[in-house]
Amino acid sequence: MISHIVRKEFMDVVRDGRFRWCAALVGALLLVSLGTGWVQARNAQKELAAAQATARDHWESQGEKNPHSAAHYGVYAFKPRLALSFVDEGVDSYTGTSVFLEAHRQNDFLLRPAQDATPAQRIGALTAAQVLQHLVPLLIILLTFGALAGERERGTLRQLLATGVGRLELAMGKALGASAALALLLVPAAVVGAAAIVVGSPGPATSPLVRGAVLAGIYLAYFATFIGLSLAVSARAPSARTALVVLLAIWVVNGLVAPRVAVDLSKWLYPTPSAIEFAHTLEQEMANGVEGVDRPDRAVVTQNLLAQYGVERTEDLPINAIGVFLQESEVFGDQIFDRNYGALWDTFKRQGYVHEALAVTAPLLAVRTLSMGLAGTDVEQHRHFAAAAEQYRRDLVERLNGELTENSRTGEVYLASADLWSQMPPFRYDAPEVSWVLKNRALSLLMLGLWLAGAFVVVTYAVRRAEVA
Amino acid sequence: MQTKTIKTILLNEWRLLAADRTLRIVLPLFIVLFAYALANGMAWVRFQEHTVQVVREGNVQRTEGLERELAAIKNGAEPSSPFRDPRNANVMGGRRGARSVALDPGPLTALAVGQSDLLPYYYDVSIYTNETTFLQNGEVENPLNLMVGRFDLAFVAIYLLPLLVLAMGFNVLSGEREQGTLALTLSQPVSARRFVTAKLAFRAMLVLAAAIGVSLIGILISGGFGSSGPLGRILLWCAALTVYALFWFALTAWVNSLGRSSSWNATVLVGAWLVLVVVLPAAINIAAGLLHPLPSRVEMITAQREASNDAVNRRSELLARYLEDHPELTGGDATDEPSRAALAWAATDAVNQRLEEVSERHRSGRDEQNELIRRYRFLSPALLVQEMLIDAAGTGDSRFARFQSQVRAYAGQWQSFFVPAILAGEQMSADVLPTLPAFNFVDESLGDVGQRATVPLSALIILVGLVGAGAWVGLGKVRGAG
Repeated sequence: MISHIVRKEFMDVVRDGRFRWCAALVGALLLVSLGTGWVQARNAQKELAAAQATARDHWESQGEKNPHSAAHYGVYAFKPRLALSFVDEGVDSYTGTSVFLEAHRQNDFLLRPAQDATPAQRIGALTAAQVLQHLVPLLIILLTFGALAGERERGTLRQLLATGVGRLELAMGKALGASAALALLLVPAAVVGAAAIVVGSPGPATSPLVRGAVLAGIYLAYFATFIGLSLAVSARAPSARTALVVLLAIWVVNGLVAPRVAVDLSKWLYPTPSAIEFAHTLEQEMANGVEGVDRPDRAVVTQNLLAQYGVERTEDLPINAIGVFLQESEVFGDQIFDRNYGALWDTFKRQGYVHEALAVTAPLLAVRTLSMGLAGTDVEQHRHFAAAAEQYRRDLVERLNGELTENSRTGEVYLASADLWSQMPPFRYDAPEVSWVLKNRALSLLMLGLWLAGAFVVVTYAVRRAEVA
Repeated sequence: MQTKTIKTILLNEWRLLAADRTLRIVLPLFIVLFAYALANGMAWVRFQEHTVQVVREGNVQRTEGLERELAAIKNGAEPSSPFRDPRNANVMGGRRGARSVALDPGPLTALAVGQSDLLPYYYDVSIYTNETTFLQNGEVENPLNLMVGRFDLAFVAIYLLPLLVLAMGFNVLSGEREQGTLALTLSQPVSARRFVTAKLAFRAMLVLAAAIGVSLIGILISGGFGSSGPLGRILLWCAALTVYALFWFALTAWVNSLGRSSSWNATVLVGAWLVLVVVLPAAINIAAGLLHPLPSRVEMITAQREASNDAVNRRSELLARYLEDHPELTGGDATDEPSRAALAWAATDAVNQRLEEVSERHRSGRDEQNELIRRYRFLSPALLVQEMLIDAAGTGDSRFARFQSQVRAYAGQWQSFFVPAILAGEQMSADVLPTLPAFNFVDESLGDVGQRATVPLSALIILVGLVGAGAWVGLGKVRGAG
């Protein structure tokens, strides 16, 4: 029985000119956005990789130099585009692409692509994620708003139920019919997406195919939620028109209102300091230290070394005291940076939780979070990269201070040989595992699960109590 | 007679609307949304105003610090550190004596946050100011929040206001027909044209009164009326809002004139909203990204690196060339023995020159692409009105570009003041401080803003005219019995 309903529903939909137009449009947008996103991500990644190689060349060809001068000369790190960033570009336009790694300082990421663009581009480009998050639900609404309300209006609902088909069976048939129609555009998109991943990932990522598969699952859950909600509204609404109005209102709140309300709410609950306040605090703490973190004193460091080595004069030390002092200053500075940048990142994280929690009102917020997470373009993975770059900076500076300490004496003019620089390991970045992403995004997984379960419960309830005429 | 008919229609409309349950919910809901958006915008303005104040206080503190130390040195004290001796021109004109310059929030920022959360609105100017200064980030902000954007009045106006218009007017004629009252109404001495115009005009008045009323309250509370400048901006804001709302009313009238059912009207109008406001702008952006890719900033980093490597290796040579190029800066007497500061300056200047070349190339490439991208805005009234609204608010990119170019010029003045002293090894005293170049931002004139708005506003008005004419012709054919 149910297979008849599914087939009838599917044929109805596919024969409907309006659906054909809409589906063709959405399907085309999806394929085009996947293709263009892939090309752009690939070009960007090529450029970033080239820049990273040039930065390494600059580093290696410094010539004879004092290791601490080399630490000041520093090296640039460029944030790679991850393999799945072509599906969802996430916050990439709003995070910097490059950071300068040098002695004494943790620097900010610079070069946000959005700063160069026109204000109109703030609206966002039509990425595959945008199509999946906004347009496919709309298509679902158009497919299903009249599924039960329309039958009732035409008086065919009574006839259908008189044939002995169960209400839930009928609803299930309608849902599967609509799903089969949707599959006509989603399956090709998934195939193209998977092919793009296999043929050549734009950038590094751990197990991109697994990420892609989970991503597909997330979107399927989202669409199932919408089908459920839409059928529930259609079952209970007095007319097909009312069903459409209610569903469009839900769509507007889901896609337009809730995301922006989340921005304001997150800022209100967890305010960030102004840039100038942040800089002031950092400067103050670097100059004076804070409770429990004291700025090293060069005289004290030297005294300790003299005592340790049992000599009277710094010239008699077998090592360079300045190198030791520089490294202690680094350790001090790192603690101050961790306090300040750590607090800022934590505020961003809490703000992110507000967006996730508000998924109670809009499943889009959960899906968007998961989508960016799996594509590797969310704030947390930016932080992951920033932390890796910072760790590299600290290790590099420590090694260079070590070279200075071990290979020269205090007060001596020391130049390290030109081949020292290539002995320093280059910067390598490993993107986090899928499990790391999902653990970070547990709240969104929960929210999406709740929506899916909720939609199932609501549609069962609504269909059971639907008026027949 | 005619005015009396219109009066009767308006009065009856008021009674009908007051009795309509949907509108009793929708209109107050919109006023709540407007008020919420406004409160958001105002919180942002307060934040920015506070920051600008802190930035400017920094100047006073730095100057006082310099004065104190210079006075102490004059009385025989040693400078706190030889590298930070304020008598050296490269210290007083350098980071220690840097002058912070800030851009006050645009007059109507409370209404449209625009680009003001993304672009930097203050810079430190010193002799070391160069193109990398302008690469800095703006305010500290969660990238996620930047991506989503704010719930400000401009957002409500661009995205949600059309929906209010559609909800109020989609069945203005079809509803009468479906109730069977159209034939009766049109048997009175009133044409379908006048009937629909009066009904929609009444609704337009309500919508615009709400939208403009809340805008004006916002401007009033945030002190935008304070100076004479913003009046033109306020007028432009109201004009853009009005024409945009009229576009949606005209479209509603046109769709109604086609004589289809209310649900058909609703579907078509929502479809039009979706295409014009949501899909088209996003599609335009992806097309723009492909057809007119912005030049990459990444090459600037590489270029900067290469320039500074080069400069450091050739300091003395660069100084000689610098003095040759700028004989006016040395006061005639060629320095026999260049000081460390002079050598350092020559290297800095060489890097800056190179950066300016790269940066200028990037900027012109970017502006060219953005100019092409801007053409596409004529495809969507939402993009047209977005540009006008944030430009009127003073939060569009042109006001920031203007600020940046004035800061660039100011940095040039600052350098011209200090560089001759650096090259000559001249000592600075506290007397110099009051004579330092000052930064005064010359804000856009009404003419500048008006000129930029002319084309988009005219385009939008023409669009309203075309759609309105379509509606006029269509309504002329409507017969009560049909």
